[in-house]
Amino acid sequence: MKRIWMSIGLILFALTLLPVSSAMAADKVIDGNLRVVIGSKSTGGDTYQNSAIVADALAKKLDINVKVDAVGASAAFQALDRAGVRGNTIMIFHDQAYLGYLYGKKGYFDIFDKYIVGPTVAINPGNAYLVPKSSPYQTIEDIINACGKGTKVRVAIQPGGVSEIGYTALKNAISLKYPGKEGNLVAVNTGSQSAKNQLLFDGQADLINGSVQANEQYTRLPADDQKAMRFVWLTARSATIQQAPAAGLGQTTRDQLLQFVEPNAKVPFDANSYFTFDKEFYFLFNKGLDPKVIAAIDEALTEIYTEGKIQETQKKSFFIPNFKPSVEAAAYLKGKMEMNKKIISSMQ
Amino acid sequence: MEYFADLSFTFFMLIPVGVIIGIIFGAIPGMTATMAVAVCLPLTYSLNLNQGLALLLGLYVGGISGGLVPAILLNIPGTPSSITTTFDGYPMTQKGEGEKALKIGIVSSLFGGLLSAAILAFFAPLLADFAIKFSYIEKFLIIFLALTVIASLSKNLLAGIFSGVLGVYISLIGTYDISFGGNGDIRLMPEFLEYWLADGFSLLPVLIGLFGLATIMEEAEKGIREEDLSSKMVLGSSIKFSFSVFKGQVINLFRSGIIGTFVGMLPGVGGSAASVLSYTQAKNFSKKPEKMGKGAPEGVIASESANNGLTGGALIPLLSLGIPGDSTTAVLIGAFTLQGIQVGPLFIGENMGTWHTMVLAVVIANFAMFLVMFFAIKYIAKVITVPKYILFPIIIMMCVVGAYAINYGVMFDVWTLLIFGIFGYLAQKIGIEVAPFIIGFILGKSAEIYFVKSLESFGTLTIFFTKSPIAMFLWVLIVVSVGYSIYSTIKNRRQDKFDGHG
Repeated sequence: MKRIWMSIGLILFALTLLPVSSAMAADKVIDGNLRVVIGSKSTGGDTYQNSAIVADALAKKLDINVKVDAVGASAAFQALDRAGVRGNTIMIFHDQAYLGYLYGKKGYFDIFDKYIVGPTVAINPGNAYLVPKSSPYQTIEDIINACGKGTKVRVAIQPGGVSEIGYTALKNAISLKYPGKEGNLVAVNTGSQSAKNQLLFDGQADLINGSVQANEQYTRLPADDQKAMRFVWLTARSATIQQAPAAGLGQTTRDQLLQFVEPNAKVPFDANSYFTFDKEFYFLFNKGLDPKVIAAIDEALTEIYTEGKIQETQKKSFFIPNFKPSVEAAAYLKGKMEMNKKIISSMQ
Repeated sequence: MEYFADLSFTFFMLIPVGVIIGIIFGAIPGMTATMAVAVCLPLTYSLNLNQGLALLLGLYVGGISGGLVPAILLNIPGTPSSITTTFDGYPMTQKGEGEKALKIGIVSSLFGGLLSAAILAFFAPLLADFAIKFSYIEKFLIIFLALTVIASLSKNLLAGIFSGVLGVYISLIGTYDISFGGNGDIRLMPEFLEYWLADGFSLLPVLIGLFGLATIMEEAEKGIREEDLSSKMVLGSSIKFSFSVFKGQVINLFRSGIIGTFVGMLPGVGGSAASVLSYTQAKNFSKKPEKMGKGAPEGVIASESANNGLTGGALIPLLSLGIPGDSTTAVLIGAFTLQGIQVGPLFIGENMGTWHTMVLAVVIANFAMFLVMFFAIKYIAKVITVPKYILFPIIIMMCVVGAYAINYGVMFDVWTLLIFGIFGYLAQKIGIEVAPFIIGFILGKSAEIYFVKSLESFGTLTIFFTKSPIAMFLWVLIVVSVGYSIYSTIKNRRQDKFDGHG
């Protein structure tokens, strides 16, 4: 009984302290808890990993609690719509946010119209395309040429986003070089990385979308292993890969990775340039959010990136730091969306 | 032994800490092992990899095991994989054998966990190579085999099959998700419900609604009366647990543990299928199948040995292919990525220290789970002696909190709980069978995906029969399972007629 009374006393004491602490925090623009919802349901993927790094740095800088919730795209957009105006719920996602809209997927909107696009924080340079080690195709150009000569090439992708944009770019490249032959590149729609890998093992796909992080070890398996794969294309810009650590990832060095990006791996965008795609992570805010909150996040991130510690953490996890404050990031991403819009609408 | 030289006291302490927290999560309806691992994942930032894994693996084993407590005592599966534990566990509790059922469940869990850890330790890379022989077609057939349990679980064959199909139908409501290779379209609902039902009904709220809320409503209908159940729950009397209950169950233990490990290592098949499959096989091989579902210890043994077998099984593709075997290991992979460690086919060879540490952690976690639960059980079992007018409001509150928390705070999940609570209550009155319904609901989505993807890949239905020797073998199992269910139904009908005449 004594303990119960003691506990009640402690709770009452804590309650009396509440007004004091909230008064102390009143001068802070972001107060208490910040919820970061992400567009992925996975806590093992790059979106969570990158968001966790940024959230940790923000929590320390702003002296608040930051929690990353892997709720998935539609639930994250809903949370942003519902609670985002209060400033305690923000979102981190990547190019999928506008690609889903460009590909006409349900639950996706024009983010530049519906939300405020916030600062970019990092690039995952690992978006890749792979073939079985025993494949007759040595390079991505071999695949473009094979399609041009009438061979059907099946490529396993997850439709409606980052995974599909490389496929669309390849179709575009085929149509540039061999007009009318782009139908020979056939999408095999699937989901997770494991499902894409499995299609390759089963011989149901000739090419799969993957990533350096998830597939690098498969590229080091002996050729007679059913699971052995080979990179043929990384969609990242050459300049992006050049910022990666020289050691690369696993036992594949940066120089080796550079063999699979433009201009070594050639996927033409038009007559003058190659197609490249950096998968970038950025914030999204509710349209009604107090601009002071956005300014505070911009300012905190500017300080964090000036200190330089976060870049080390990001690079250790094979991310390329890419901080741009809100206004600059929004303009940049809008331009990127327009470029991708062109290629997607020409191929639909 | 040099691999373990760096292990600290903290490492050994974090395992039981994880196990205890995991058991609590598993035992609260609506909270799962996956949730426990997800909640504690950010904590691993401040720990080194070995310590982080010790905590998370403890949570995993504890979370999976904790589910048996409410399943047996309250007829509410704490986790989806403990659904089949309710089939015999709760009838045992109703007969006053709750403590005995709990102990049977715990020993079976320990056995299943250790068996799967041994398989993980000795055969992981080999089995991973075998797992990749399972394409969409073989995975569909495994799910189809698990669905055949509907026939053998039904009290009335036609009503059971109808309930199962209804479960499959309800599971398909929502988006045909692009993350599964779907077209992203929302189907099977009017447009005005799209906001709430875009992701369909969540499993956990459906589960605890059907089992928990519906049971409570039935009890409430009876009104407050003398507590006869608590008086039957004579702790430590003639119904005392003895290891002799496992006599004749060694094959069941091994078979269920192996099924659990095997299903666990197939990415995308889902943990619930493991306990469902092993329960069916236990029933098919049982000498007294008519007693299954009415409080037979072998049902609890099959279910619990299988769902703990999952733990080692799901780690096999994670550590040998970099692919998580179930939803919890999908969260677990985050611990590696947060530490910047790649998991893939070369992980074991390149990280022997971490590999050995993980196997050790799984083994210790299983023993810790056993010690914590086995000796705490006589206190836990007393929950049944709490008067229902006090117990039920607390359970409802926990169910609501669990439902709200499962998807990080979605109110519609609480409504789902209520909708399926009422549905479960009414279903029994109109003859819809809950067990086949929930099995259909759990397996429906995966069945659809693998079926559609098989057809997309191969373009012909005959491929389901001719794809591989594994597919053919699975067809044999399916035919035997369905044939046996029909045979049992006919036999029971004849027996009933005979009894009626006699």
